[in-house]
Amino acid sequence: MTNSLSIRLKPYLYVLPLVALLAFVFGYPLLRIFEFSFKLVRGVDGPWIGLRNYELILSQSLFWESVLHNIQLLLAIPAMVVISLLISILLFERIAGWRLYRVIVFVPFVLAIPIIAVVMKRMFQFSGPVNEVLRWASLDFLALDWIGSSDVALWTVMILIVWRESALGIILFLARLLSLDEAVLEAGRLDGANWWQRVWHIILPQMRGVIEFYVVVSVITMLASVFAYVYVMGGGRGGPGTATMVVEFYIFNALIRTSLPGIASAASVLLFLVSVLLIFPMFRARRRAREEEA
Amino acid sequence: MSKSRIPNISRRDFVRTSAVFGTAAALGGVLPPFARAQEKTLDMWWWGEQELPGLQKFVDGSIAAYKDAAVKSMLQDTAVVISQFQTAAAAGKAPDIQYLWNGVYHMESVWLGYLKGLKGLVKDDILAASNPTALSRFGGNIYRVGWYPLPMFWCYNKTLFEKAGLDPEAPPKTWDELLAACEKLKSAGIEPLGGGIQDGYWSEWYITHSLPQNLDSFGEAVELFIGDKDFRDPKYHEHWKKLEELKTRGYLNKDMSSLELYPGIDLVAAGKLAIGQSIGTRLPADSKATGGKIGYMTMPLFGKGKLAGVPVVDVQGLGISSNAEDPAAAAAFLEYLNSPERLKAFWDATGWLPSNTTFDASVIADPSVRGLWENWGLKPNISNVTNLVPGQFYERAAIPTGQQIVQGSMTGEQAGELAANTAKEWRDFNPDMVENYRKWAVDLSAPM
Repeated sequence: MTNSLSIRLKPYLYVLPLVALLAFVFGYPLLRIFEFSFKLVRGVDGPWIGLRNYELILSQSLFWESVLHNIQLLLAIPAMVVISLLISILLFERIAGWRLYRVIVFVPFVLAIPIIAVVMKRMFQFSGPVNEVLRWASLDFLALDWIGSSDVALWTVMILIVWRESALGIILFLARLLSLDEAVLEAGRLDGANWWQRVWHIILPQMRGVIEFYVVVSVITMLASVFAYVYVMGGGRGGPGTATMVVEFYIFNALIRTSLPGIASAASVLLFLVSVLLIFPMFRARRRAREEEA
Repeated sequence: MSKSRIPNISRRDFVRTSAVFGTAAALGGVLPPFARAQEKTLDMWWWGEQELPGLQKFVDGSIAAYKDAAVKSMLQDTAVVISQFQTAAAAGKAPDIQYLWNGVYHMESVWLGYLKGLKGLVKDDILAASNPTALSRFGGNIYRVGWYPLPMFWCYNKTLFEKAGLDPEAPPKTWDELLAACEKLKSAGIEPLGGGIQDGYWSEWYITHSLPQNLDSFGEAVELFIGDKDFRDPKYHEHWKKLEELKTRGYLNKDMSSLELYPGIDLVAAGKLAIGQSIGTRLPADSKATGGKIGYMTMPLFGKGKLAGVPVVDVQGLGISSNAEDPAAAAAFLEYLNSPERLKAFWDATGWLPSNTTFDASVIADPSVRGLWENWGLKPNISNVTNLVPGQFYERAAIPTGQQIVQGSMTGEQAGELAANTAKEWRDFNPDMVENYRKWAVDLSAPM
């Protein structure tokens, strides 16, 4: 009996140090964030105020504006999927120079976000290269104030996100495409299926898992990982005005710029809970993708 | 054939020697400083190299030359100047001397009890000469020694003024004169006024120059936040209406919304924009680059408050933490930094002025810089009113209002509405701070 118990416990003991380390590194701060979200924190601690931080956040228009902007960014995902699919399929079909193109399309993903965001920001200035080209082509009506107008700024951020994040999609999709059974595609070709029919009836059904995975990852990115884009493109303010303010930036402002760690913690908890809800479909999608590949 | 010079060391000798050195090194790290050297030690956390290159050289030189204590300095990252200090102070491990931005950026630490009042600790004459500004006073005490000044002004390009037929030595003094000058500049094909507002600082600086025009004291500004006064009152949002007027008349540069602050100022120096907002630390370089063709002025007058037209001089400073083991030693070091020899060294290292009215200005060769020091630094001046703006108001109202007016999506009146709502929001989020601000208003309303 004792022997059997020790055999069963043994594996857990092996992983215990790592679990303890993870609990300390991630678990403790998470608990503190939950605790802070119920306090009016000044400096490093403060009095307990119950749900007041949550009440204040949920009644603040700026918070909902930030949420809305995150949701608006979700609109970029269909574009990312389509672009990634299109380019990955073209690369898969080994168009001339495909190896070089593969490197080129992945470059944006390798470069740090602040670097490409700074470059893009210069490109999209009112007197920048993009507008200069448009004016040169007599398309003045398209020469917008890309980063200076509240109506346009978030869409400009979205363009940048689509450009960079599509690179990940391309690589994921291409990896999946390269593992497809070419015999099936060849059979389709011999049966007279045109390019579109092959994509629609043969390729896409087999890629469903990896597309789902990419979509879920992208949703999490749009909700909880666009800070660097917004920080650089929005002049470090989520601007102009509050036009590019997102929840992450809201948290950053509350913590760093407005000395409200309690509010930042409460907003972080809300964001965390939403992200956790999204992690389950992500795991499911990943499992499905693996099963398809097997 | 020479013999090998490697000594004959056995493994035992090697291990023994290593152990001796290792123990000595470990003890050196573990033992308190007084056991290592019988001298006072001070920790100093500072910031400023980022905005004033050369400051590192001055700090290093000052520490090396100081004989009364060993000073250990650490240059802080911009993002953590306040949080790093406050966290350390809460843990009882704050440095003896801390760099402090003005106004609320250090006042919060005062309210948390992390800073020592300097009255009676630093000599009165040095404290006064360093101009810590009214924003460093609370409860009758002063919490910073001024380190270096940041005169803030409206700058203009004299060459463009000449091109438009304006007198480059007589910049506009009133709002009507400004509008007339802008019209002339515009007619001459010159973009009259503006800069870059994409990063928001232009909005802040605009408030710095314009809000005080309808204030009698900075205490009145604080009353706007604690709810005793209201931004919806026309006199408290008139400055935003004036910005709206500049926008609707087409006097602001077209790319203003997509440019950041400093590239915007560059336009003035480059002769592409006639009038902008600038800061003293830029003046030596801009003056040199344009052959002395950069002029400066206070914002043209429209308001009727007692602070209207008074030059603005913000001052960065140093304070002493409540954790300091020997506050007198820290104070002595701050006094040393204000000695005539150190003030001269400051100028030599940075090419900029120290904040001390006793500084011998004869070393300043550039007449523009000397004039700025004489007219802004030595004459009556006010500090930067945005330094008493609560962070939440700064982010939610002070910055966005300017940006939205400049892009034409908000009126001055709507800006007042947003400001009033944000002030109320701040009170809801920070009930504990309102009382501190109320007390602070008393200090800010009192004469210096």
